[in-house]
Amino acid sequence: MSGRCIACEEKPAPPRVVVVGLASCFGCQLQITNAESHLLDVLGQIDLRYWQLASSDPMPEDFDVAVIEGAVTTEESENLVRALRARAAKLIAIGACATTAGIPGMASVGFLSRPVEVYGEGQVPAACGEMISPRPVSAVVDVDYEVRCCPIDTLDFVDVLQAALFGSNRMRRTATMCGDCKRNETNCFFGEGTLCLGLVTTAGCGARCVSLGRPCNGCRGLSPDANLASARAACGRYGVPVEDFDRALELFNQTDPALEGAR
Amino acid sequence: MLYRVIDAGELPALVSAFMETYEVVAPVKRGRSYAFQAIESFDEIELDYPTTIVSPKKYFLPPKETLLEFDACGNQVTDFAAEITPRVIFGAHACDINALNRLDLVFKDGRYPDPYYVARRGATLVVGVSCLPTETCFCHLWGSDEARYGYDLFLQDIGGKYLVSISSVEAANILEAACDPRVATDEDRIEFRHATRRRQAAFNPDIPDIQEVAMLTDAFHKDPFWDELGERCLSCTACSAVCPTCFCFDIQDVRDPDGTAGRRERVQDACTSPQFALVAGGHNFRPDGRGRVRHRMYHKLNGFLANHDRMLCVGCGRCVTACKADINPIEVLKFFERKGAQDAQ
Repeated sequence: MSGRCIACEEKPAPPRVVVVGLASCFGCQLQITNAESHLLDVLGQIDLRYWQLASSDPMPEDFDVAVIEGAVTTEESENLVRALRARAAKLIAIGACATTAGIPGMASVGFLSRPVEVYGEGQVPAACGEMISPRPVSAVVDVDYEVRCCPIDTLDFVDVLQAALFGSNRMRRTATMCGDCKRNETNCFFGEGTLCLGLVTTAGCGARCVSLGRPCNGCRGLSPDANLASARAACGRYGVPVEDFDRALELFNQTDPALEGAR
Repeated sequence: MLYRVIDAGELPALVSAFMETYEVVAPVKRGRSYAFQAIESFDEIELDYPTTIVSPKKYFLPPKETLLEFDACGNQVTDFAAEITPRVIFGAHACDINALNRLDLVFKDGRYPDPYYVARRGATLVVGVSCLPTETCFCHLWGSDEARYGYDLFLQDIGGKYLVSISSVEAANILEAACDPRVATDEDRIEFRHATRRRQAAFNPDIPDIQEVAMLTDAFHKDPFWDELGERCLSCTACSAVCPTCFCFDIQDVRDPDGTAGRRERVQDACTSPQFALVAGGHNFRPDGRGRVRHRMYHKLNGFLANHDRMLCVGCGRCVTACKADINPIEVLKFFERKGAQDAQ
């Protein structure tokens, strides 16, 4: 321990941060502004160089941390993500779209024929760019940190940003959700024959939706340790149609290779 | 041990007397289930509850607690003195009291007592209540259907009245002041024996009673059964979240939003969590469900027994309901039963 603190060095050199939005609803960037009471505390720790949502200034050449929201859906955005990775020491993907391909990812099956179906042969506007099948940021480059959920939790973002700035002794975990429901002492939806995706979804939100009376819709994405075969068997035992389970997974996990076996 | 008898109608007065000095937590209805929570009146209590989602363990080892606070700028650490609420756990079942006694072995009576646990345990009175087993209860197999110590009062329902086992002066004084406890008669003792027999006869006969469980776990350590069981694991950690004896934890630092200060938190962990046995350098000693589930069962049914002369399972049956993949000690007992039947052939 050197006793040195990046946050309060006498001559601080705050990390330079850029925030970039790809294919998304921008809701996760808005969630950052929702830090309201803490926003100045958070901004005080960084040198925010670029944020589309707040300013139209062009992106600078040099920065330390890149925050990316949204899925990669065009060649342009794919190149942008590679450029960000090349320059940033730390890269953070925020929100379901950036971490699982999220809502844009729903269109990924049979993607290549979709633009023509919408606009007609030869009518696809140039503004669409060179479209590619939607994918999460991690499918293009290595991602150092992720802030999951749709939308992200504001304080979760602050937490992850700090981990990127200062380091952290909290490791990324892949356990699924049900343990949190038990600790919250909420009733399990499966007991009433209602589908809930907590069985296979990465924990970390504290099972917030279930605490509010709604089943998990899987916005944190499938855990790499998700046991789909066992979860399907559980659906069978608890009177939840397995087809409903598989279909519900497509909302946030369409591009996850684990789903391929189900199709 | 001192025994007295009170009428069922005296319980509200007893609870009210506790509430004068303590926060009283008791089983209340929560949706389709039950949970221990702070109550404001006796009427909220569901004393004949089958079981609760989690055990009263949460009052001693909360899912998350602050251990210390730090100032990242000055590199200073401040011991965190949690405010300990003097509390009465009213209506604990025998299995949960036995579970608490096991936690005491680890956190209170061991070589390095845990100050956070010890402070809470010292400020808590436990009032137990007798129960009848549900379909998933197997406490009798491990001798946990009776609480021999670890409580202040234990209320044995003997039909319209309670035979009260008294084991602390503090609780005895409150009982004495709030109720009209009388000396147990022969008739009361007969009622008690009947109640005990009713409980013993009510256990689910489909749960096999296996002798020498610890030895069998060693004998079948490499059996393909563990692959079958482990391959079903959902890695959700519900088993350990509901377990009244699981005590593993992780320690994590959390900074305040401005980054200059923060706190060190202890959070519940679980050996069924995929990263539980991940060590520096990236090696995971138990990288799959087979290894993790087997380890959990071994610690419960074998390892803790070797060190502490009792199992780390009290047969409360909570994991039987919580696990959506049907992984629980009853499945292990059934496996041993099948093995026994094969050997006999």
